[in-house]
Amino acid sequence: MRIPPRYTQMLAVAVMGAATLFTLLILVFVVVFVLGKGLPVVNFQFLSGMPRDMGRSGGILPAIVGTFLLPLVAIAIAMPLGVGTSVYLAEYTRENRLTKVLRFGTDCLAGIPSIIFGLFGFIFFVVMLKMGWCLLSGGLTLAIMILPTIIRTSEEAIRAVPNAYREVSFSLGATRWETVWKVVLPNALPGIVTGVMLGVGRSVGETAAVIFTAGSALRLPASMFDSVRTMAVHFYILAREGISAENAYGTAAVLIISILLINLATYGMMHHMLAKRNK
Amino acid sequence: MTGTPANKVVLRDFSVFHGADHSLRGITLDVRANRILGVIGPAGSGKTTFLRALNRLNDLVPGIRTNGKAQLDGEDIYGSGFDVVRLRKRVGMLFALPVALPMSIFDNVVYGPRLSGVRDRKRLAEVVERSLTSAFLWEEVKDRLHSSALRLSGGQQQRLCLARVLAMEELEVILLDEPCSGLDPISTAKIEDALTILKERYTIILVTNNTKQAARVADETAFFLMGELVERGPTGTIFTVPSDPRTGDYVTGKFG
Repeated sequence: MRIPPRYTQMLAVAVMGAATLFTLLILVFVVVFVLGKGLPVVNFQFLSGMPRDMGRSGGILPAIVGTFLLPLVAIAIAMPLGVGTSVYLAEYTRENRLTKVLRFGTDCLAGIPSIIFGLFGFIFFVVMLKMGWCLLSGGLTLAIMILPTIIRTSEEAIRAVPNAYREVSFSLGATRWETVWKVVLPNALPGIVTGVMLGVGRSVGETAAVIFTAGSALRLPASMFDSVRTMAVHFYILAREGISAENAYGTAAVLIISILLINLATYGMMHHMLAKRNK
Repeated sequence: MTGTPANKVVLRDFSVFHGADHSLRGITLDVRANRILGVIGPAGSGKTTFLRALNRLNDLVPGIRTNGKAQLDGEDIYGSGFDVVRLRKRVGMLFALPVALPMSIFDNVVYGPRLSGVRDRKRLAEVVERSLTSAFLWEEVKDRLHSSALRLSGGQQQRLCLARVLAMEELEVILLDEPCSGLDPISTAKIEDALTILKERYTIILVTNNTKQAARVADETAFFLMGELVERGPTGTIFTVPSDPRTGDYVTGKFG
């Protein structure tokens, strides 16, 4: 028996609509749940104060600072490396065995669980290079972790730039580099920023790799060689050790709002840049 | 100067291979300075390959090889140590589809001069006005030079592309690859008018699918078929008394 197309169409719309609605509801539920439990403890004191008694009372200022500094260090290291690699792969090499191996390698790297990166960072940066638990060890480890994401998304973005633009640029006497700099990169920028933001998202929410490499100090870092604690780690420790469920939820609420703000700021900035160019 | 002008471009038994394909077969052809050479022929006849060989844009395609001699002002353009970047500043190209770069009209026009190191605002502004005027676009865009070039219509974009080529200070030869294939009759007329004026300063090679266009603007016409140069001669002769019957069949529309 064949169901008339009219009904399969209706069924498809209903099923996919329900799936979308369900996904959205889960998301809303998680956010509302965390904010509902966390927001009551969030006040100016909580945001700007130093933690007391292992975080049982007081604020979370060092964790907020750490949450912004650590991804910043990671991005500062990973972005030039990642974008450089993707430009090289997409613009300077023809598809051959080497590029395939490189791409396979980055894909494998992207699939490795973060705790493995944490272990590697601990053994290599913290112990072997004697850097100790610090902002730099953590930043380097996170950089390695998010590098594959940045490389793949940037490469896709670069390949999506119409070839006609390159031909025009070459035909006007541009070298390969001038073409990349003046035409390819500006047009690939939205895609590259998306990749970087995925990386930022991963590092902001990371715990395993961070505890092993950046440590969990409750002081404000004074240099790259000081240990820091991020909000995600702070939350994990508060909840795991049963120190304070209230403050754990408070931290989670601030973390969610921070991620929202970072994303809004980035997309606002990108929108502004694109609007300026297409004026 | 009387008599025959000097030959700007000289090809001797010049071939292009694309993988196993022999896309251009032993072309021997002189292009005289300050003339318009029309190139006609059916699709796949090697016209575009011929054009892109002259500014070495074919180099970008993997698996392309060339054979034979191709000279610009007596210099071998495929010779070792020949400066390809400089060649492309001397031999500009207008593509079949107008490709305005996603930047302002002003930035599009000065793309070439900026690559050559021109930074002076006043000089760039002069280049923009001169080039846009030569391309018959100045009056339409002079009040919005800093708005995006993507906002222009197709015909305007193609004239912008022409202005962008004309802005290059070392320009000597202009290659046009079916520049009017997507344009309305008015834009086409404007491009053709521009070409007949521009040939006083430049050497022009115009590939076109529109035989009437070749008849209108070209001083000489070459007919390509399946990668071979069948015949070349004064445009009047090619269109009235061609020496090869295949040329006659093509220009009268019997095939192609």
